[in-house]
Amino acid sequence: MPLLEVQNLSVKFGAFKAVDGVSLSLDAGEVLGIVGESGSGKSVTALALMGLIDEPGRVDATRLSFDGRDLLAMRENERRQMLGRDIAMIFQDPMASLNPCFTVAFQLMETLRIHEGGNRRELRARALQLLRDVEIPDAESRLDAYPHQLSGGMSQRVMVAMAIACNPRLLIADEPTTALDVTIQAQMLALLLKLQRERGMALVLITHDLGVVAEVAQRVAVMYAGQVVETARVPQLFDAPRHPYTEALLSALPEHNIGRRRLRSMGGVVPGAFDRPAGCLLSPRCPHVQARCRVEAPALQGDHGAQARCFFPLAAPT
Amino acid sequence: MNDAANEAARPTAEPAVLEARALNKHYPVSAGFLKPKALVRALDGVSFTLATGKTLAVVGESGCGKSTLARQLTMIEPPTSGALLLNGADVTHADAALKKRLRQQVQMVFQNPFASLNPRKKIGHALEEPLVINTSLTAIERGEKARAMMARVGLRPEHHARYPHMFSGGQRQRVAIARALMLAPKVVVLDEPVSALDVSIQAQVLNLLMDLQDETQVAYVFISHNLAVVELIADEVLVMYLGKVVEQASKAALFSTPRHPYTRALLASTPRIDAAARQTRSVLTGELPSPLNPPSGCAFHKRCPFTVARCATEVPVLEALGEAQFVACHRVNEIG
Repeated sequence: MPLLEVQNLSVKFGAFKAVDGVSLSLDAGEVLGIVGESGSGKSVTALALMGLIDEPGRVDATRLSFDGRDLLAMRENERRQMLGRDIAMIFQDPMASLNPCFTVAFQLMETLRIHEGGNRRELRARALQLLRDVEIPDAESRLDAYPHQLSGGMSQRVMVAMAIACNPRLLIADEPTTALDVTIQAQMLALLLKLQRERGMALVLITHDLGVVAEVAQRVAVMYAGQVVETARVPQLFDAPRHPYTEALLSALPEHNIGRRRLRSMGGVVPGAFDRPAGCLLSPRCPHVQARCRVEAPALQGDHGAQARCFFPLAAPT
Repeated sequence: MNDAANEAARPTAEPAVLEARALNKHYPVSAGFLKPKALVRALDGVSFTLATGKTLAVVGESGCGKSTLARQLTMIEPPTSGALLLNGADVTHADAALKKRLRQQVQMVFQNPFASLNPRKKIGHALEEPLVINTSLTAIERGEKARAMMARVGLRPEHHARYPHMFSGGQRQRVAIARALMLAPKVVVLDEPVSALDVSIQAQVLNLLMDLQDETQVAYVFISHNLAVVELIADEVLVMYLGKVVEQASKAALFSTPRHPYTRALLASTPRIDAAARQTRSVLTGELPSPLNPPSGCAFHKRCPFTVARCATEVPVLEALGEAQFVACHRVNEIG
C-alpha cells in the first residue's frame, strides 16, 4: 500500500484552478521530485497535502490518504496532530520561516513539546541532538542563537532539524535549496538524502531545477499549468521524455546546448487564469500540435510507471 | 569555428572598451559600540579588460563582491583605489558632469524585473526616460526610438502604453534590457539577469541577449552564479571568492581545465542532468566566511580540500598558467 495516495486533487481560487486533477502516489522511503515552472501548481499541491490552503481556496479530491487514513474525512485536530509529526514540510525561504523573536532552541523545543512532551532538560537535549543530526557545527552554541545570527544555509539546517524532530514518515521539501548558494545547495541536498536514507523517510522534493531532480529523485512528476503532464522514473524521464513539454524544458537547458550558437527555446508563456486554452493546455506552444489537441483535453496515458498527458507522445529516441 | 578564430585573436587585437586595474572597494562598517570601525574588503584588486562585442562573466557566491564590482563599473560608487578605464580613458577621477555623460556608455540590467521597473510608469515612459535625461530629442522622436527598441527586444507596439504589472517576468526583463540599450551603450552590466526566470523563459532571454550583442557589438559584463549559463554566453570568466579573483580564464580553458580548487568545487556542486557529466561530488564543508572577519592567508583555505600550512599565512596572488588562465593558489601546480 502506498504511503501517500492522492487522486484527482484540485485546488480552486474562485474560478481559477491552480491545481487541476493531480494524482500522485508515493511509497514509504521513496524520493519523488515534482518539477515545474512558476505557476505550475507545484507549491499549491504541497500546501493542499499539508492542509494549509486558506479561504477562499477550495481543495477537492476523490482520494487523499496517508498511511491508509483518509485526510479528507479526518477531524481538524486529528489532522493537525498528524502534521508535523508524520508529515513535515520545509519551505523555500529559511529566513522567513523561522520566527525572528525566539531562539533556535525555543523553536525546536516547541515542536517537540507539542507532539511528544517531556521536561525542559530532556527537550533541550533532544534539540541539541537534532542540531547535530543536521550537521550544524558547534551545535551547543547555536542552541541559544536567534535566527538573524545564522546564515541562510544554517537557517535551512535548523528548518530541517525542526521538520525531522518527530521522525516524520514523509518530508515535503518545497524548493529547499533555491535560496542557497551552489556549494551550500550541494551540502543541503547531501544532508536531505542522508536523513532520508537513515530514517527511511519518504521525500517529496519540489523544485524548478531539473538538475537537482535528476541527481536526487527516484521518480519525477512534471507539472504544467496545474496538471501533471508526465511521470516517469529517473533517468528514463531525462533520457527519453514522452511529453513535448518535458522535452522542451530539457532542451532549453544551457547544459544541453553547449556548442550551439543559440538555445533551443519554446515560444510563448505558461497560460494564466484568463487565457487557458481549450483542449491540451500546451497546444498553443507545442511544436507537435495537431488538430485534435486544440479541441480535446488529453488524459494521462501509459502504464503506471510512465505516464504522459498527450495524444501523441514522443517515441523513444533512436 | 567562428569562435575559434575569435579566440585566437582575443588578446589586445581589439581595443578594450572597459578596463579595470586593481580595483579596490573597502567599506568601513560599525563593529559595535565604542569599537573602532572595521573594514570590509568587498572588492580587492580586481583587474580585467573587456573588448567590444565580448562577454565577461563574473561568477561567485553571495558576498564575493559581484554586485560591488557592478557598482564600480557603472560608476554608481567610486572605487577606494585602482583605476577604471572606459575606451582607454581613466574615468576614476572624472567630475560629476563628465561621469553623467560616461554613464550613458555603461548601462545596467538588474536581477529582479519585478523590482527594477517603476510600477507607476508605463513601459513607454520607462524606455523614454533615459532619452529625456540625456538627449534633446522631441517627444515624437523619443516615442519612435522607444517603439523601435521594443520591436528589437520582441515586445509588441501596443505594450508601449501598458504598466509593468501587466507583463510576465520574461517580458519585464525584455523591458529592462530595452531600457538599458536605449542610449546605445558600449557596455551593459547584467546582474543575474536570468536567475529569476523560468527555464523556458531563461532560454528566450539568453537568446535575445546574444542576438543583440551580434547586432550592436555591445560588450556584456555578465554576473551570475549559474555556471551552465556562463558556459553558454561568456568569452572570458572571472571566478571570485570573498572580494578576490581566484581564477581568471577564457571560457574554454576554465571549463576544460579548471585549476583553482574553488572553481572545481563550484563545477562539481552544479547539479547535472546527464550522469556522465556529473563529477564526483566532493561536497565542500563549511560555510562562506564573513567578509567582516575573513580567514587569514588564502580566504578559501578553511574549506579547501588541498590546504597546507602555507595557505593559512600567505595570501596567494594571481599567476599566469598558460596563455589564457590566471590562478591564485599556492598549490596549483601540485594538485594538477
